[in-house]
Amino acid sequence: MYDCYFTVRSVTPGQKGRDALLRAGLRCRLLRAPAATSTQGCAYALAVRQADWPQAAEILNRAGVRMEGRWLRRVDGTFERATL
Amino acid sequence: MIYLDNAATTLRKPPGVPRAVVEAIRSCANPGRGGHAAAAKAGEIVWQTRVLAGRFFGMEPERVCFTANATEGLNAALRTLVNAGDRVVISGLEHNAVTRTLEGLGAETVPVTAPIFCPAAWLERFEKALTPDTRVAVCLHVSNVFGAVLPVKEIGAICAQRGIPFVVDASQSAGLLPVRPAEWNAAFTAMPGHKGLLGPQGTGLLLCRELPAPLRFGGTGSRSLAQTMPDELPDRMEAGTLNVPGIAGLGAGLRWLSSQDPKRLLERERKLLAAAEKGLSELGAQTFTGPEQLGVLSFRFPGMDCETAAAAFSDHGIALRAGLHCAPLAHRTAGTLPEGTIRLSVSAMTTPPEIEGFLAVARKLRRSGRT
Repeated sequence: MYDCYFTVRSVTPGQKGRDALLRAGLRCRLLRAPAATSTQGCAYALAVRQADWPQAAEILNRAGVRMEGRWLRRVDGTFERATL
Repeated sequence: MIYLDNAATTLRKPPGVPRAVVEAIRSCANPGRGGHAAAAKAGEIVWQTRVLAGRFFGMEPERVCFTANATEGLNAALRTLVNAGDRVVISGLEHNAVTRTLEGLGAETVPVTAPIFCPAAWLERFEKALTPDTRVAVCLHVSNVFGAVLPVKEIGAICAQRGIPFVVDASQSAGLLPVRPAEWNAAFTAMPGHKGLLGPQGTGLLLCRELPAPLRFGGTGSRSLAQTMPDELPDRMEAGTLNVPGIAGLGAGLRWLSSQDPKRLLERERKLLAAAEKGLSELGAQTFTGPEQLGVLSFRFPGMDCETAAAAFSDHGIALRAGLHCAPLAHRTAGTLPEGTIRLSVSAMTTPPEIEGFLAVARKLRRSGRT
């Protein structure tokens, strides 16, 4: 279950981040960012498991992937902005 | 046909290139836009090619921007750096892709001249020309007319010392010589995808170590509500739908090159050129040669119009290119204006029997007085 979302501006940083996470052995999914997580229109999101979140954030930072926002998906499918 | 016009475009590609193009046409939608499988597949192809190119040229993948050709990349670089009246120092071998762009921008273009095949002289002349009021320096890595290799690393070092942004045109070297923008201190390095990189026409790369000004404005699949272009690469340089089939083919070309021994490829091409040069010299042709020459051999037969001679070769199935090669400045520097030269250019796909076939036709034409 992927319940934590890192939003990125476009598909390219998303792909770079995805590759970095997969190389580190973390499962993730690259997808179009849900509208609720994107303030500037079209964007992409890297979805990871909540347990992997801190490590994922560190990996993305190290890879130079600029994260626009961090979101937690609630059980009802809505999102809340989150901080580590 | 014996195809020896590879400096214009490489006609024969590794088999994976047309396969990748066809596969992309059949299965790829718009990358970085929709979230469906066909868009995701296109996005993966574009990303994988970006990663491959990044590895090939020592760049972070997002700093590899896709263009339609080297000309577009050079336009983007020069439009970023040059304003009207700026002094821009260029090599005297530059292509119209550089000189016309600078003319269009109203720059004060200062061509540096030196003996074509003397890297030390080029370096010395650049060093003198790079005055404190120089805004930008531009130099090609390899001449598209003569195959001369210019000392871009050393010129780039001088530019870095003096705080002058440096732009490199790697059109004739990419795929054959190491292209290393970071080692050259090059702000921008432009190249086509359809020459030594063995991709399809309509592809090119701009390697950006600085942030370029957008050449085109429009949709990028990102930050759609904002009405200014994104400030990050590659989106800033890639408005509009990308040439996904072309990029897929370019990726296949890069994969093929990555599987080869670059030193062997280089040595092989140099042997082909040396054989052509020897045969032409024996026939009384004037040839333009020097150490470290790469990919291209210019020649002409005394007293014979170059275009007429190239047409005679074409009648016998030999594809060469005569004239000025879109580089009148290079011909002025070499003293080969107004008629230019005939240019023979090889690729990784050229074979020794093709050079022998070319020389057999040259001998035949020489005997018949057509060259």
